[in-house]
Amino acid sequence: MDGGLTLEVDDLVVGYGDRPALRGLSLRVEAGEVLALTGPNGSGKTTLLKSVLGLVTPERGTIRVGGTDVGGLARRERARRIAWVPQSEAPMDNVPLLEYVLYGRHPHIGGFERENAYDAVRVRDALAAVDLTDRADAGILELSGGERQRALLARALAQDTPILLLDEPTSSLDIGHQLDLLDRIRALSRGEGRTVVTAMHDLNLAARYADRIAVLDHGRLVALGPPSAVLSPTLLRDVWGVTADLRHDARTGLPFLVPRLPPAIPPEAGSATARPGPIHVLGGGGAAVSTLQRLVDEGFRVTAGALNLLDSDSEAAQSLGVPFAAEMPFAPLSDEVRAENRRFMLAATAIVITPFAVGPSNLGNLEDVAGLGPGSPPVILFVQPPWTLRDFAAGRVTPIINDLLARGASPVQGVDELLALLRARTLRARDPPVADAIRSVG
Amino acid sequence: MPAAGAPGVGDRLGRRRFGGWLLASTVATMAFLTLASFFVGTVPIPFRVVAAILLHQASNGAVFSSPCAGTVPAFRCAAFTAIVWDLRVPAVLLALIAGAALGLAGGTLQGVFRNPLADPYLFGLSAGAAVGAAGLYVFNIGLRESNITLPLFAFLGAVVTGAAILAIAGGRLGSVETLLLSGVALSYLLSGVLSLMLLYNPFGSLQVSFWLLGGLTGATWDRVGVAFGGLLVAGSLLVVASREVNVLQLGDEVALSLGVEVARVRTRLILLASLATGFAVAFTGVIGFVGLISPHIVRRIFGPDYRVVLPGSALVGGIFLLGASDLAQTILPQTVLPVGVLTAFAGAPFFLYLLQRKRRQGTGGR
Repeated sequence: MDGGLTLEVDDLVVGYGDRPALRGLSLRVEAGEVLALTGPNGSGKTTLLKSVLGLVTPERGTIRVGGTDVGGLARRERARRIAWVPQSEAPMDNVPLLEYVLYGRHPHIGGFERENAYDAVRVRDALAAVDLTDRADAGILELSGGERQRALLARALAQDTPILLLDEPTSSLDIGHQLDLLDRIRALSRGEGRTVVTAMHDLNLAARYADRIAVLDHGRLVALGPPSAVLSPTLLRDVWGVTADLRHDARTGLPFLVPRLPPAIPPEAGSATARPGPIHVLGGGGAAVSTLQRLVDEGFRVTAGALNLLDSDSEAAQSLGVPFAAEMPFAPLSDEVRAENRRFMLAATAIVITPFAVGPSNLGNLEDVAGLGPGSPPVILFVQPPWTLRDFAAGRVTPIINDLLARGASPVQGVDELLALLRARTLRARDPPVADAIRSVG
Repeated sequence: MPAAGAPGVGDRLGRRRFGGWLLASTVATMAFLTLASFFVGTVPIPFRVVAAILLHQASNGAVFSSPCAGTVPAFRCAAFTAIVWDLRVPAVLLALIAGAALGLAGGTLQGVFRNPLADPYLFGLSAGAAVGAAGLYVFNIGLRESNITLPLFAFLGAVVTGAAILAIAGGRLGSVETLLLSGVALSYLLSGVLSLMLLYNPFGSLQVSFWLLGGLTGATWDRVGVAFGGLLVAGSLLVVASREVNVLQLGDEVALSLGVEVARVRTRLILLASLATGFAVAFTGVIGFVGLISPHIVRRIFGPDYRVVLPGSALVGGIFLLGASDLAQTILPQTVLPVGVLTAFAGAPFFLYLLQRKRRQGTGGR
């Protein structure tokens, strides 16, 4: 194996009629890179792989490996350049694993030859690469699911090609075996410089293992680039119709997408003004994440109170599109930010205080609620866990909480209770605001 | 046969697992059965006489100067010699060759169709060959006496049938039911054609019934030679192709990705199976189930590698048909049963067993 070769697909059209599988797709895979091919079901991933393999005949377009047009090559020559790990394989005889992997040498063995010592070496190397040397004599049907998938990979490795194509190689594996197999594939690419193209459904695994991600949709290439450039909530919504948040792995900095749960009540289709709210949420350090998420899902307009950037709550607010008063990371609340926070409070129909930890730097949040004059929005207060445990401001928190409760703030035990309260009042009196209704309950 | 390869490769590949002795004992079984069969027949001939005749003829007179080594009077010796050397020996050899050809064809068809129920008899290949051969007589084509045109026409009949099966099966080779049912339907149709030929038969040839029943009575040295030639050609080409048959077992798409020209290989394999079937059927008529059973026995003993299954099926097929032929002559006193009756008695229950097992395992694969 002298390293990989480039794979160039140019203007590929596959299939007839008004719904062709590939519609003029062009793609260049660099030598030695791992490219993840993603896209919804039916987007053309498998068709692209099969076109490169020559299993389907394109209407138009060329496929080049290291500059050579493989369309004109005999099957055998093609099989020496491109190997395939299919998603699954038809059940077959209980061939010993070693023989099975030896089938990968087929394109290298002439019609009247038999396998030689070099073929045996390649087979043994392939088995070692997938850690199946000990199972060499086991029948293929006796292998476990994970071993069987590795055996498929070993056969493709024994084929000794610069290009390796994989069609969802991990789709039938548990998470442990998925990571293991992808680790191996990536190591093979790094170690031997093979060019790897793998179809994958899991974008987060793709981001983790691929140098670049190609996104297909309706037979076209809609995005191509490194994971950090390609993965975005917008892409997920446009291509898959999924709402998700983009996060970054704390250790590696790699992006990953977290799909949202579907809302319990679909947001009203009408204009923003038809939706109840705004509800202003105070939080910090992650205490408000679930509240923000649920309120948005339930169709409320939401704002959020002075939050430090990079804080979990501020990230949640950002990804949910919730406007909030933003302070610099780890900085105490400045006067400007507190003023902005107060403007949010006064515009709200209710103020929700989530059970965030309060220290000297963010005490301003609570002080500003307490300082609001008469006629201000009603306050709803989480009382679990107890505020005494969240007081990191030398005992100055508890008096403020008690004062708020004494002045009519509604105590709630958790998010469900909060929503029940808001929903009941909103349904009874959508306009004028919920304020009076809540106050009457309090 | 187990491949030796470079030092260490064969061992590493685990091919020696079953040992050469299994193969050797199979060959020994065949040799012993062959020798024993020379002494089996409806006419009782003393052991010593048969042995003397065989040695005299085989050594071209070098061992015994007189044909029967003086064991019997000359007029009886002439009759015995004719029976042993011109009837029994060709019949035994033809049984071996035809059995080998049918076993080979069965193994090949099972490999091509990835279906353990494939067999030249069940798929109508044998019936097609019989129609081809019988056609020579029914239509009184001038070449009918030739031992070359007979297998040629049988071959053509089998090829047309094979092409029909391929066309019917189309791309859906995985569908066991479609394939089997179309094969069985084709087989019935061709049997019907053969019966029609027997009735129509404007030249009143009695030969047609021979292909319906099947048997080894028509064996001559010439025919043994021709059949052996056909077997040799088909067999050696099939053994060369056997690695491709192995790769075909992975499925059409994987085979293509491994550089096998699937359509071309499949056509070639069916052509060769038809060749083997045609040469067997031309001289022995339609004998069932040899091609079904032999590959299964080989797989059971030697494993699924077609490089072993194909030649192995030839060996076992020969043993099976010769054994059946010996039984057909000895099971009832003074009566020779058609050998096809014996193979059917062994084969039909076996087929049902396979069908049953297949149903338990679900469809596809084996």
